[in-house]
Amino acid sequence: MAAAEIAELLLAVIQGVPGGATNDDLTKALSDVPAASRVEGLNVLLKQGGIEVLKKGEKLIYRAKDPQKKSALPKDADNEEKIVYSIVEEGGNKGIWIRDIRIKSNLNMTQLNKILKNLETKKLIKAVKSVNASKKKVYMLYNMEADRSVTGGAWYQDQDFEVEFVDVLNQQCLRFLQMKREGAEKKRDGPLAFKQMSCCTVKEVHKFISDLGISKVNLDEDDLETILKTVVYDGNAERILQSDGTYVYRAVNLPLPAPGLVQMPCGICPVIKNCSNCGDVTAINCQYMNDWLD
Amino acid sequence: MSADYAHLCSSILEQCFGQVVQAVADCLFSATTRTLSQIVSTTQLARKEVALALAVLIKFRLVRFEPSKSNQFLPEYSLKREDVICLLRYSRYIHLVQTKYGNVGASIAEELLNSGSETATSCLLKCLSDGDNKAESAETYRTTFIQMIADHYIIKTPELVTGDEQDDCVPKFLSNECDFFVPPNIDLQLLAQIRKGDATIASATDGGIVWSLNFDRFHQEFRDDIMKLAIERKLGETAAECFSFILSLIYKTTDPWQRKASNHITFVEIKQAIERKSNNLDLMKYLDQYISLITDDSLGFLRRVGDMGGGQYVIDMEHAFESLAFACVESVITERFGSKATRIFRVIRFKKYIEQEDLQKEAMIPAKEAKSLAYNLFQEQFIHVKVIKKPGGGGSGPAKAFYLFQIKEKDTVRMLLDNCYKSLYNTIRRSNFEKNEHKGLIEKSQRLDSIVETMKERGDSDDYIAEIVETFTPPECEILNKVKNRIRTLSKAELTLDDTIFLLQMYQHHCTTLPTGIKKFK
Repeated sequence: MAAAEIAELLLAVIQGVPGGATNDDLTKALSDVPAASRVEGLNVLLKQGGIEVLKKGEKLIYRAKDPQKKSALPKDADNEEKIVYSIVEEGGNKGIWIRDIRIKSNLNMTQLNKILKNLETKKLIKAVKSVNASKKKVYMLYNMEADRSVTGGAWYQDQDFEVEFVDVLNQQCLRFLQMKREGAEKKRDGPLAFKQMSCCTVKEVHKFISDLGISKVNLDEDDLETILKTVVYDGNAERILQSDGTYVYRAVNLPLPAPGLVQMPCGICPVIKNCSNCGDVTAINCQYMNDWLD
Repeated sequence: MSADYAHLCSSILEQCFGQVVQAVADCLFSATTRTLSQIVSTTQLARKEVALALAVLIKFRLVRFEPSKSNQFLPEYSLKREDVICLLRYSRYIHLVQTKYGNVGASIAEELLNSGSETATSCLLKCLSDGDNKAESAETYRTTFIQMIADHYIIKTPELVTGDEQDDCVPKFLSNECDFFVPPNIDLQLLAQIRKGDATIASATDGGIVWSLNFDRFHQEFRDDIMKLAIERKLGETAAECFSFILSLIYKTTDPWQRKASNHITFVEIKQAIERKSNNLDLMKYLDQYISLITDDSLGFLRRVGDMGGGQYVIDMEHAFESLAFACVESVITERFGSKATRIFRVIRFKKYIEQEDLQKEAMIPAKEAKSLAYNLFQEQFIHVKVIKKPGGGGSGPAKAFYLFQIKEKDTVRMLLDNCYKSLYNTIRRSNFEKNEHKGLIEKSQRLDSIVETMKERGDSDDYIAEIVETFTPPECEILNKVKNRIRTLSKAELTLDDTIFLLQMYQHHCTTLPTGIKKFK
């Protein structure tokens, strides 16, 4: 029998076992094929990229590859390219760092760089800059949508955090919560009803923000939840746990008026630590105090 | 007790009692107890002067004394450091009495504050001879005085124990909790006789019983006001009214200065009290809702602990003052570092421990800004860092460590309180400076005023008066107005600063186990 025929038989057997076939499975199924030609057949399959070899404990397992995935790589790709490609593929949407590719593939730096560049020009993979470390590039398949942890989600334009965008959204969310509260104040149905009416779910806020059309990017409810949380952290709203495990938000007032300490310069003085009876910073020659008193 | 507080006390005492008392108090501040001869040798003052200063301080209940352990006949003096700051609150005390008891009460309180402590008869005599309230009869004064005792605003100071060896021993006091608020017997007839000059004050029967204002009662009122105001701001007036009913009910069974939480109160009790005393229909109709509103609120003033009597509740003082003190800390941070810093502070407080990276993500602030804000907060001791070191590393390279931000709440509050003390000291110092700087001018204007006054009484011609007034030149007038304005601003700042100090002190009382100035029936 020719190696190609054996390979086909082998592939059929391997595809038949869902979790991947061990060597024992193959010997049992193809008892008439000698060990040497079986090895030859497996090599052919590996070369074509039809199967992959995995190690489970001490045993080797042969598993059939998804034919659709394979098709992304052109036929003329050489072995190194295939290996690098598969490593990048494993990285998924989180991407993989060039150093990790080198360690996994065991290729030297110059060769690897060449291969990566090659694959990039063929638009098989792409390099994405991570927001966490601006100099760190990660590689992933070309058609892959990068994970939020890499791009930073909706809040990042390239590598820059969009402060204004977040601030505007923060203000709008707060405005919505306050509008809701004012609306609830007008109706007089008792305090508990008032409280419930001033609460908003994330969904309502999401609808409001989408209708406003201030965002060019599509924001999902999770994005808005993080914005709402910042409103809570600003002390302008409260996050209330509902009985079904979700949270609602409502605008609240601060419980205290501005404390006396900040109504005079000492409360906001940046050098109060150095202020004493002697030295350069004293209450007598304090410029902040002079400005305040005049 | 910090150095800032020591400075503050020293300047307050100087302002109120002069330099001798200040020197004596400074000496006492730095030690647990001192004997008279020790004070004399430290302060280098005459023995007589020191003794007089001590007498003043004792009369104002700022110094206590006890016989020395080694020598029964030798008294040791110690300063009640926490009480010194109360001297600044006198105007607030009087204002409170004024709103509660009117002018009569205010003049009684003023008299007691000015003298530190006094017998009922002599206090009333002084009030009556005071010009302002001639219209009121002695009867009204007596009733008000007794009412103030009944409401615990006036307290009896411990009586002197009269024994056989009085001459040699250190005087001892008998303090009996039961008769702190027993009303005295004030003889109106005798009072009238003394005023006419027919009798002397020595013939009054209450010579041994001395009264003074009960600061704790005032502080209780201030504290309750803070809590009511907070509820009003957050949940509206009706909820605040509901809460004030709950407070007054609680005080029937609970010591107002119990630190963590009050005793239990049931829904039925609250309902009965409100039905009896309130005319607020909204409150009566939705009482259960208002109570659950206060209970569910994040301020945490009220906590449900059981189901007896339609629901059992306690007032959670610890939680309440934690919320309030941190609302205060947060607004200080907002003013000082901006609202982004407050956001960072709240994130850390909410998460308890958090790493730098997670912090900026949670707060949605760009990495650089978040870092700088967090480090600024750290530098000013609003937040703290906990380092967790991974054991090992084996000498090769630095050991792995995690730096987590956290807030040590007690430390933060304490730091802020010290800042307040320092600021208060600064205002006093500055206003003393302004007064000294323009001493000549201020004295001149006072002299001029009194001259003009006497001239008017004499009936001199207006032209002549105007001529005298003109000796005060316009530039001088301008400077004087400026200085007066400055001093007014500073003294207003003193009052508002004290609000912050009071709030933070309440935090220390209710949320820590630190010793505070407040003791039951001190």
